[in-house]
Amino acid sequence: MNHNQQSNDGKHDDDSALSDFLASLMDYTPTIPDELVEHYLAKSGFQCPDVRLIRLVAVATQKFVADVASDSLQHCKARQAAVVKDKRDKQQKDKRLILTMDDLSKSLREYGVNVKQQEYFADSPSTGMDPASRDE
Amino acid sequence: MKDGGLENKKELENSKKQSNSSKFRSKSDDFALSIAKVAVAQVCESIGFQSFQHSALETLSDVAARYIYTLGKTANFNANLAGRLESNVFDVIQGLEELESGLGFAGASDVNRCLANSGVVRDIVHFVGDAVDVPFAYDIPRFPVVKDRKGMGSFWEKGEEPHGEHIPSWLPAFPDPETYATQSTVGNGTMSGSNGVKTGLVRVEWKVERPLLNFQQQFARNGNVGDSSCGGGDSTKAKEASNSNPYLAAPLHFGEKEVDVSPVVLPTKLSNEVASRDPIPENRFLGNQVSVLETFATAIEAMKSGICEYDGSRQKNVLYNQRPTVHFKIGIGKKSLNSAPYFISKNKDLQKIAYWFENGNEKDDRKRRAEIFSKESMECSHESGQL
Repeated sequence: MNHNQQSNDGKHDDDSALSDFLASLMDYTPTIPDELVEHYLAKSGFQCPDVRLIRLVAVATQKFVADVASDSLQHCKARQAAVVKDKRDKQQKDKRLILTMDDLSKSLREYGVNVKQQEYFADSPSTGMDPASRDE
Repeated sequence: MKDGGLENKKELENSKKQSNSSKFRSKSDDFALSIAKVAVAQVCESIGFQSFQHSALETLSDVAARYIYTLGKTANFNANLAGRLESNVFDVIQGLEELESGLGFAGASDVNRCLANSGVVRDIVHFVGDAVDVPFAYDIPRFPVVKDRKGMGSFWEKGEEPHGEHIPSWLPAFPDPETYATQSTVGNGTMSGSNGVKTGLVRVEWKVERPLLNFQQQFARNGNVGDSSCGGGDSTKAKEASNSNPYLAAPLHFGEKEVDVSPVVLPTKLSNEVASRDPIPENRFLGNQVSVLETFATAIEAMKSGICEYDGSRQKNVLYNQRPTVHFKIGIGKKSLNSAPYFISKNKDLQKIAYWFENGNEKDDRKRRAEIFSKESMECSHESGQL
């Protein structure tokens, strides 16, 4: 009986924690707007009058995007750290952190999204050649 | 044969794949996608990125949109599985768990876990606690915007009486006679008035029915073409229309004048003129149609007493033909039967003709018998034409 009571209390705690969290969601404004989330949810057939659920979905999507972005940022920084020619070059490269398709496809692959892109298009004779040796 | 089959299969699969991928990202979705791009860019900026490649940003925003879509789809599916229409917080959490199951979350292997304290929720709680509150850059309205369409009132709503028992009162009412095209057009058949578009559509339908007929030829050459090109039913329609409403009459032949036509104009002579003037085989076809008009004309004549009456109507028909080309929907003749005297005519000749109509009311009984018959056949042909 005690064990049951304890588990019941635990359940109540979980429920209350969840409801508290959902209430706190209304204070937090996710970067992904509610209207966009509502549009795609309506497209998929999701029906719910509760605004907190929409906020939950928005926050979950924001977390997902943030995870992917942080993974690709790590890839980008790792690539910059690997290319060490001159101290000057490294500082120059450190200025711009660019989200490239390369890093993005690597990080998305971990999440189960396979994004494959052409490495180069052979539309000119100088395609694929080392940029230093190209005649300009 | 086998190779051909294989090739077709591959093409089918390719086209299917393309259609599946394009179904999600349709042209109407551009607005939502662009908003998603802005939102994703803001998130990446808060992470630490300073600039993006265009393709990378598009890809990531597309993935984010698909994430929302998949989450909604899964949550809806879970709700339906439980016998509910509206989704629950637990449906959403289950959907989240399903999406996160690829990478895994804390407590995923727990057999007796409760959804309320699921690992995904805890992750989200941590995320909300840590993340900086960056609101969306723009104010966006709810979309897609639903336009409030004010439809045309029904007969019942407008308080009008439909023109026959066959028209139920819940159907939309006919437009007011004042909105009919009042301006006679010149030459090349430009549409005028609010009705002009409808008549254009009717003309196009006729054109579709008779693909040989050139649209311009209809109006440049034969006056009777517009009315008689659709077969016997329409020719009677033309007859009835020309009798009741001068604007619904067919355009004039080339070279024919309104005033100088002799009162006795035999239809055979007319059809011969038509045939001789136009050596093109299409119009010979029309010549056949004109003869159909004749047969109907003779039938109508048989119902009436005198030849002069018939000739008079033919005369009127020919006189109307002289007018510059006007395009009208003959089907509106139903209303015009009653409103011919009230027709606003700027042309003096038209006023003359309207005056003739008023005089001809005595003979209308027998004419109406013929017209009722032609009305029914007209409706049948009209419907079949529109189908």
